[in-house]
Formats: sequence, structure tokens, C-alpha cells
Amino acid sequence: MRLSINGEIKEFKEKSLTIKEILDLMQYNKGIAVALNETFVLKTEYENIEVKDGDRLDILSPIQGG
Amino acid sequence: MNRVKWKLEGREFNSRLMIGSALYPSPEVMAKSIKASGAEIVTVSLRRQSATDLNSGNQFWEIIKELGVTVLPNTAGCHTAKEAVTTAMMAREIFEVDWVKLEVIGNQYNLQPDPFALVEATKILIDEGFRVLPYMTDDLVLAQRLAEIGCTTLMPWGSPIGTGRGIMNPYNLKTIREQFPNLNLIVDAGIGKPSDAVEAMELGFDGVLLNSAVALAQEPIKMAKAFKYAIYAGRLGFEAGVMEKRDMANPSTPTVGTPFWHQFS
Repeated sequence: MRLSINGEIKEFKEKSLTIKEILDLMQYNKGIAVALNETFVLKTEYENIEVKDGDRLDILSPIQGG
Repeated sequence: MNRVKWKLEGREFNSRLMIGSALYPSPEVMAKSIKASGAEIVTVSLRRQSATDLNSGNQFWEIIKELGVTVLPNTAGCHTAKEAVTTAMMAREIFEVDWVKLEVIGNQYNLQPDPFALVEATKILIDEGFRVLPYMTDDLVLAQRLAEIGCTTLMPWGSPIGTGRGIMNPYNLKTIREQFPNLNLIVDAGIGKPSDAVEAMELGFDGVLLNSAVALAQEPIKMAKAFKYAIYAGRLGFEAGVMEKRDMANPSTPTVGTPFWHQFS
């Protein structure tokens, strides 16, 4: 499946993966928050929500701000 | 300085200065400037970052945590209510705070907040249990709408973000202050020099939020200190009550006992 992750297209051989599996594969561990198709996903839901071909994931972390 | 605590969204603070964490020449200068400013509230944001960058350590976030300040996440860069709501929710989870500086930009040229999307996003976030501090234009009716839906703090701009043009329209800010005596009002954006902050405080505003004015100064740490004193001076001036302006000159030195040489003229 093809996913858009932080604006970049990524290919995965699996047909579906949970958000947790994707974060593990990409080696994201802490200090992040996730939105799936522009909707916020609670940390506690990462293991339960499966993403599918064409989905968009945004993985954000703290940065300077005014 | 002898300080009187004030309350913002249920939290107590000494300083009425809120400072941004962006645009400093280096992380060290940022940390020293924040310390020198005496600010207890620091704005932060969220962005996409690669796992590689994050795993090598988020230096910025570690420095902020070490400063022991209260963070106020913003939703900078959002252009729709939906984007702003999603970003606010992500920020609440990461920063573990229930407040947000809500920014929804409506115009790319002057980064003017979109009043309609701002009200829409504010409604949703208040229903979700957030304390919303909306970054807004200096519009009285917008202030009214935001207060009606439950905002207890409003953050009108002095002038567009990063322009350093100071307070464009003191009348508008003064009117908002007079019409909403019980809300916390913060001038957010456009402050360029310490006297702009004094002006905001003399208008009776409860605080000032700024970033570029310090970060882009020739000497940010010194400027941070200048703003610390300016905001304190402006607040004292407001509390003390400014004298009325008069058209006619009035001698401040007593005229009784004027020396003999004035008596012949």
C-alpha cells in the first residue's frame, strides 16, 4: 500500500498496518502526536487503528513557536 | 522587582510578559533570553519531523523543559478551523496542557487571523475542554463573539506578526479593554520596541506576548531584559493612573516665594 507520511509517499508491502506498526517501522518512539487523514488520533488508539492504501499520516513533534 | 501575582486561565504568574521561542540566533541565546525576560509562559509549536532527527534528540524541547516554564502551544501555520482543531488536540497530548494559543491565518500577506474560522475552531475546542486563547484582530465585534462562546482571555494583535510596527490602532485596543473589563487581554504580535509594550500595558492590557522583538534584536538577551522592565513599568503606570492631558501650561514648581528678579518683569 501507498501512504502519505508527513507529505512524502511511502510504499509498504503490507496491505494494512496499525498506526503503532507504522511508527515502529519508521522508528518513531516518543515525543510525537499523530493525525490520520487530518484527524487527531489518541496515543492509546495507535494499536487499534489500521491504516490503508491512500491514507495520510501526519506525525508532529515540538518545535520553536511564537 | 516587587511583583504582584496575576491569574491567567486559572494559573498564577508573576510576569506579565509571554515570550516566543522562535527566531533566536541559537538555542543558547533563546534560553538566556527567556531567562532574562523573566517570562514564565513560553510559546511553542508543532511541526513534521523525521524519526532520524527526533531520535538524535530534540534539543529544543529539552532546553525548554529545563527552563521550567509553562508552555503555551500555538496552532501557527493553520489556515482552516479543522487544521487548527487537529493541531490543538495534538499539542494537548504532547505538551500535556489544556490551553492553546489559537491561530487560524486568513491572509498570507499580513498573516491576519481569519475571524470566522477562529470563532468556529474556538467553539469546537471549548466543547472539547480546552482553554482557548485566540489570536485575533483588534475587532470589537469579534471580541464580543469570542467572549460569548466562552473565552476568558483574548489576544488581539498590535500589528501583523513579525512587523515590529507596534500598536497600529490604540483606539481599538482601548475600546476592547473598556468593553471587557473582566477578561484577560493580551497584546499579541506586532510589538517592536519596549515602548510599544509600555503603551499596551498603559492601555490596561493584562500582558504582552512577543517574540521577534527580542529574537531579532541586535542583542536579544539585553532586549529581553528591556521588555521585562518595560512591561513592569507600563503596568505600574496603568495602576497608578495617568494624569489628564491639559491644553494650558501649568508650572510644576511652586510660584509662591518667587525670587525678586521675576517680580520686575
